[in-house]
Amino acid sequence: MSIEQQYRTRAKELLSSGEVKMVIGYSKGSTPDRRRPAFISTPEDVETLVLDGACIANLSGYLVTEGLLSDEKRVAVFLRPEGIRAINILAAEFQLNAAQVEILGFNTEGNEPTALSGSKVDDFAELIGTLKGIIPDTAGEELYKKLEAMSPQERFDFWQSEFSKCIKCYACRQACPMCYCRRCIVDNNQPQWVNTSSHTLGNFEWNIVRAFHLSGRCVECGNCDRACPVNIPLRLINRKMAGEVLEAFDHFAGSSQTQEPVMASFKKDDTETFIL
Amino acid sequence: MSKIGVFICHCGENIAAKVDCTRVAEVLGDHPGVGASVEYKYFCSDPGQESVKRAIRENNLTGVVVAACSPRMHEATFRKACAEAGLNPYMCEIANIREQCSWVHNDGEQATDKAIDIIRSMVEKVKRNNMLQPIEVPVTRRALVIGGGIAGIQAALDIANAGQEVVLVEREPSLGGHMAQLSETFPTLDCSQCIMTPRMVEASQHPKIRLLTYAEVEHVDGYIGNFKVKVRMKARYVNKDTCTGCGECITKCPQKKLSSEFDCGIGKRTAIYTPFAQAVPNKPVIDKDNCTYFKNGKCKVCVKSCPLDCIDFEMQDEFIDLEIGAIVVATGFQVQNNAVYGEYGYGKYADVINGLQFERLASASGPTSGKILRPSDGKEPENIVFIQCAGSRDPSKGVKYCSKICCMYTAKHAMLYAHKVHGGKSNIFYMDIRAAGKGYDEFTRRAIEEDEAGYVRGRVSKVWQENGKLMVRGADTLLGRPVEVAADMVVLATAMVPQPDAKDFAKVVGIGYDEYGFFNEAHLKLRPVESSTAGIYLAGACQSPKDIPDSVAQASASASKVLALFSKEKLEREPVIAVNNEATCAGCWGCVLACPYNAIEKKDILDRSGKVIKRVASVNPGLCQGCGTCVTFCRSNSIDLAGFTEKQIFAEVMGL
Repeated sequence: MSIEQQYRTRAKELLSSGEVKMVIGYSKGSTPDRRRPAFISTPEDVETLVLDGACIANLSGYLVTEGLLSDEKRVAVFLRPEGIRAINILAAEFQLNAAQVEILGFNTEGNEPTALSGSKVDDFAELIGTLKGIIPDTAGEELYKKLEAMSPQERFDFWQSEFSKCIKCYACRQACPMCYCRRCIVDNNQPQWVNTSSHTLGNFEWNIVRAFHLSGRCVECGNCDRACPVNIPLRLINRKMAGEVLEAFDHFAGSSQTQEPVMASFKKDDTETFIL
Repeated sequence: MSKIGVFICHCGENIAAKVDCTRVAEVLGDHPGVGASVEYKYFCSDPGQESVKRAIRENNLTGVVVAACSPRMHEATFRKACAEAGLNPYMCEIANIREQCSWVHNDGEQATDKAIDIIRSMVEKVKRNNMLQPIEVPVTRRALVIGGGIAGIQAALDIANAGQEVVLVEREPSLGGHMAQLSETFPTLDCSQCIMTPRMVEASQHPKIRLLTYAEVEHVDGYIGNFKVKVRMKARYVNKDTCTGCGECITKCPQKKLSSEFDCGIGKRTAIYTPFAQAVPNKPVIDKDNCTYFKNGKCKVCVKSCPLDCIDFEMQDEFIDLEIGAIVVATGFQVQNNAVYGEYGYGKYADVINGLQFERLASASGPTSGKILRPSDGKEPENIVFIQCAGSRDPSKGVKYCSKICCMYTAKHAMLYAHKVHGGKSNIFYMDIRAAGKGYDEFTRRAIEEDEAGYVRGRVSKVWQENGKLMVRGADTLLGRPVEVAADMVVLATAMVPQPDAKDFAKVVGIGYDEYGFFNEAHLKLRPVESSTAGIYLAGACQSPKDIPDSVAQASASASKVLALFSKEKLEREPVIAVNNEATCAGCWGCVLACPYNAIEKKDILDRSGKVIKRVASVNPGLCQGCGTCVTFCRSNSIDLAGFTEKQIFAEVMGL
């Protein structure tokens, strides 16, 4: 049985038995290489589920949709390892109760999805441990190395030219599972810290603020990158921040659901190299 | 519409010499929303304050900006003046054009422009100020004194004698601290224990003092007037309620050769012990690490000897929770480990001892009953060399400061030696003789002139053993030649250093410390007994090296601070606290973790049927200290700081 069929059967069981009220997975998209999120509530509809190499979007963000989990019922969701880490972060930040999440875990190597064993977020603790410090998606690896080799001025110029493309559509924010705030800082106009118009200053402010808000929280699922209509390599900023946080505080985002947020917690032996 | 009054102070010539105050007043007078703009020589003077009040009344001002010195100086003055004129005091702000402008710039033209910018920015802030009301918090009238040495005992007695409750915590089995170890005290040579023990007894019998010995402060929460303190009562293994202190167990204990901490290693003690004869409480504890029963599971001689069945090997540490209004930290000092001076042979030669050990030799209650005898062979030394500044004023050994007491106690040691060993010869190597204090210089002169202490100005480079003598080689810098003295004993005037765990303890209590580990006062000159944390005061050598009179004076000073705090039932606090916007809060509760004061709680918002609609963060106004850590953390900008709202700060920045 193919992994797709296997997971369809599993989804059907979960829905028929009433164990979950919904399965969030992938269905066919508008083009052959794209997949669209599917929200399935009846056992009959599981046949529309697709699981193949094109299923790369991180679906964890849909779980924090207002009211979805407030009835205490469970929801099953298709997740790659980054998505599972995202569940840990969302649980650590009290956005969901991980016990309500049934995980249909899979990984994609090459073009073929492989099943991951386990159904609760804690079942994947060992797997997550082995991922520490490993970049989940090597997209942009070459560019990242090039950026690291640049002088600060060159890097600044690079990002300035990238950010000049930004049209402030906030698609990156909408696609990101970590951007769950009810009111984003950019929507606060009293005062208007981040300029809404698409000029250099406002674009810088927005993208830098987002990078800071994601440091120690980004799982590098790449949702922002793929959502960006003007192709800014957004994940590379977050990758940089993830590296910094790992190096300075040994913090690997999403390691467990009890992990304290790195920016809100402190330890006596935290490095203080930033204090001059 | 705002009508802000701008008051530009000359501060004599302090501001006016650089800043053209007339031009500043003219420019600000034209700024939108400014209702009055005036200058004056000293606004902090009585007529100056009157003119501010008059301007508020005559122009119906809605806010005030006083452009003057730092708000640290006169913010309170002008807020009070505004309140007297009927304006909410939090509608008054200070624009600092002295420390941050006139004092630091040479060019008058540019300084004037900068002053205008600073004031304009503050006017924009005040336009957005809110009429805040002070917060009232109740005060628990119970003080905690940490440390039962002379400073702690004095503070506790002063507070208790004024009728307020005190909890006195001491980590050793007995009260007394270092003062109980001393022989005689300078400059009067009265016996230390004779003046100390009555205080110890008084503290232990005082109806207002609850004494917790062999106890350590584990955790401090809360804030001024409302601390919550957890104290660990270490297991004594002796029931101190039934024990009468008969001492049978101590005489019978087979483990007799343990080094006595109280006697600084010169004397011995048993495994079940009281530190000294006049200990308060005079009830023994068992040293678990060295007790034969705890080590081998066999012995229990003390159990058999106890007529009242007081010994309980099953005893566990207990915890006591206390509600406390104010804390006096009097945790004292330690002497530096002289092993850092390898060349002096401390630890290598038995007859090289430190000053505190000499105190025990000279003390009537000490291991030699007050006879000066060499630790190595118990003979009376005919010649003693004292080395001052063995540690102090030596940056290479990590102690840059002067320990303050060593010049005096070394002179005292030489005197005691002269009194006890007739014909004994003392040589004192010193850098300077620092004897500032009432009767102090006279005291050192007496040591030199009457008791023939031989002072040699110079450092000692080496001490070694030769033919049963300790050879001391040093320099006499006044004669400009090297000297060598053959001594029977060498006494090092060791540096006073902070307690080894002082830095960790400071973190537990929540106070600051300096590079060495001495606790920091709020202001070295003007607030020397207050720590930087409101409601926590300092006494004694935990703040800096001190002698007994200084420690006692500081203890009484901190007691008076505590009593001033306890004089009112409620405490008024600045309303500068964090406020959460529950509508936009995402409930990530990062702020709950980030808050250093545990002032943010989790809160459920319920609908009419009691169902949880939303979970948000909620700030406890009593606990919040207004530090703003949560504000910087909050990703959705839901938390704001009253008096420093983002709107105000933004306006200030844009006003520049």
